[in-house]
Amino acid sequence: MAGSALRRLMAEYKQLTINPPEGIIAGPINEENFFEWEALITGPEGTCFEGGIFPAKLVFPPDYPLSPPKMQFICEMFHPNIYSDGRVCISILHAPGDDPMGYESSAERWSPVQSVEKILLSVVSMLAEPNDESGANVDAAKMWREDRDQFNKIAERLVRKTLGLPPP
Amino acid sequence: MKALLATVISLGLTTVVIGNAYYQKKQFYPSIVYLTNSNPSMAVMYLQAFILVLLVGKLLRKIFFGQLRPAEFEHLIERSWYAITETCLAFTVFRDDFNPKFIALFTLLLFLKAFHWLAEDRVDYMERSPVIGLLFHVRILTLLMLLAHADSYFIHHAYQFTASKGPSVQLVFGFEYSILIIMIVNILIKYVLHAIDSRWEAPWESKAAVLLYTELAINFLKVLLYIGFVAVMVRIYTLPLFAFRPMYETMRSFKKAYNDVVLSRRAIRNMNTLYPDATPAELAAADNECIICREEMHTGAKKLPCNHIFHAACLRLWFQRQQTCPTCRLNVLRAPAPEAAAGPAPAPAPGLAPHAPHAAPAPPPPGPPPPPFPNMPPPPPMMAWGMPPPPPPRPANLASLTTAELQRMEGNERRNIEARLQLLREIQSMLDASVLLMQQYSTVVANLPQNNATVSTQTETRIEELNTASTVPTAPSPVKTEPDVVPTTSSYKQPAPTPSTSKTIDDPSPMQPDTTTPVDTNRDKTDVDAADELRRRRLQKFAMDK
Repeated sequence: MAGSALRRLMAEYKQLTINPPEGIIAGPINEENFFEWEALITGPEGTCFEGGIFPAKLVFPPDYPLSPPKMQFICEMFHPNIYSDGRVCISILHAPGDDPMGYESSAERWSPVQSVEKILLSVVSMLAEPNDESGANVDAAKMWREDRDQFNKIAERLVRKTLGLPPP
Repeated sequence: MKALLATVISLGLTTVVIGNAYYQKKQFYPSIVYLTNSNPSMAVMYLQAFILVLLVGKLLRKIFFGQLRPAEFEHLIERSWYAITETCLAFTVFRDDFNPKFIALFTLLLFLKAFHWLAEDRVDYMERSPVIGLLFHVRILTLLMLLAHADSYFIHHAYQFTASKGPSVQLVFGFEYSILIIMIVNILIKYVLHAIDSRWEAPWESKAAVLLYTELAINFLKVLLYIGFVAVMVRIYTLPLFAFRPMYETMRSFKKAYNDVVLSRRAIRNMNTLYPDATPAELAAADNECIICREEMHTGAKKLPCNHIFHAACLRLWFQRQQTCPTCRLNVLRAPAPEAAAGPAPAPAPGLAPHAPHAAPAPPPPGPPPPPFPNMPPPPPMMAWGMPPPPPPRPANLASLTTAELQRMEGNERRNIEARLQLLREIQSMLDASVLLMQQYSTVVANLPQNNATVSTQTETRIEELNTASTVPTAPSPVKTEPDVVPTTSSYKQPAPTPSTSKTIDDPSPMQPDTTTPVDTNRDKTDVDAADELRRRRLQKFAMDK
């Protein structure tokens, strides 16, 4: 029997393959290494990210699910809760105890109940409703609050970029 | 491509340098002397040697590891930089006996170290990969054997050298190889554990604990070695700056391992004392899937005060990090607080659990019924905590006493009043104990069918009555209990909080409504509560399924 982290990741992969949530595809990059996944997230409908397909990488720690994985978009992103290098900043990806932004209550932090599916669903809802108070990307947060048109324009450019379309 | 270019260039340079020397001196020995005396030639030779070492390293890596994973490669590079810097620092201490042999020995040390790191990474990877073939085992075992032999040879050599010629740079080598051989032992233990684990079909629950203690012991040994080494170096040479970073890291990981062991022990103790095992019925009623590892629970499941059930092994690992319920984040250390005052409690207090206050709509569980009051002889193990005071002496038949006798018995001196107060306090604590018992009951029964809602309401009513009764000064009567009484026969005034225990043993089926006549007024309310509770739990389950 393999390690418990591996077994749990295999179980989650199976679950995601059999019963995939809408707009999300995820799986190991290489079936020999279940600790690095790639995910494709479609931009939620009715938002400025609608239609885009955003690739991201998930890296799981050896003690998963006791510790949260790390998630990083591998395409260009402009969003208040995504660092400029693509790292996603949402509370369920933070282990209780460390609080990079100093505002999260431990109730919304990582626990083994969370799963890849829940993380990705949270990211989808984060795309739809940015939390401009956390500010992983301060410029994006500011623009989101003060100049929504400009933000939407940038988002549209990014969406077209992920689809391989020329900018409008 | 770059590597190939470098190899070709260095090979070309070496050829040119050697050719030049031979062309000038025509003979073997003079050419060698010329080469060793010319600094540029020596630089080229060093470069060539370095490239050769790298090539051999690549070859060995291919043989023992095949393709390196990117993570392994990164790790290797990072550690190499540290090691190279520290080697340069070590050179400063031994600058007096700086010669080619010295450099060769340090290069060899670095070379062997790199293979130790790679072996360590590879063995850690075992736990993570679903595909471990025979080739892997052959490679790792051969490599570990070879490394162990090399290490012990160098330790032996360093020992001989130091014993015969006094302290020298060999001290450093002896020490470094001792650290490496400890590392080999550690890798070997991990390898054996992972290999055993991969042979077994069922998850091996104590593996984590074994790994933890191995880690502690290995780190302890390393810390001892480092301290000894630094002490020796300080006595003979100077402060070994180059050993400080690894020493600090070892100490830190020793401290971490120690903390882990402490936390793990605490978690295990809490699990064994505070949380009951989940019964098969409870497992069947719940989802039967452990939310931590997403596998089915058959045995070894534990139930938390909030009624969430997990594998004991999974829970232990989680509790090493955090003492909360993974599902609802109830702080499990704080939850049993009311009982903590009375000592370690056998079951958690449900009073603070999220839905315990109205989680009572079910009969007491089938199973050995705890006595309704603490003064029931003999005290069962469950009552080991909060030793109840002995029952107060019962008064004789009051009707047969005269008024004077009664007055004398009552007394109004300080002594009598104190005694009375004492009695009241004892009663109070017994009542508290019974309330706790009832709370335990309601936790246990929370998972059972909800259509017997009335029993606990009945008992709750009684407890309330009890509490009011305890304010009456002449209240020794509440201690008079009838444990085996059946609800229908027990009078409403009787303060037995577990009226149905004996019945439930024989007949665990839902209780008939006619046994609940005394609380008819409460029934509607209870049903509403029960329906609420059921809906809430369904919602919860739904949320969890999602």
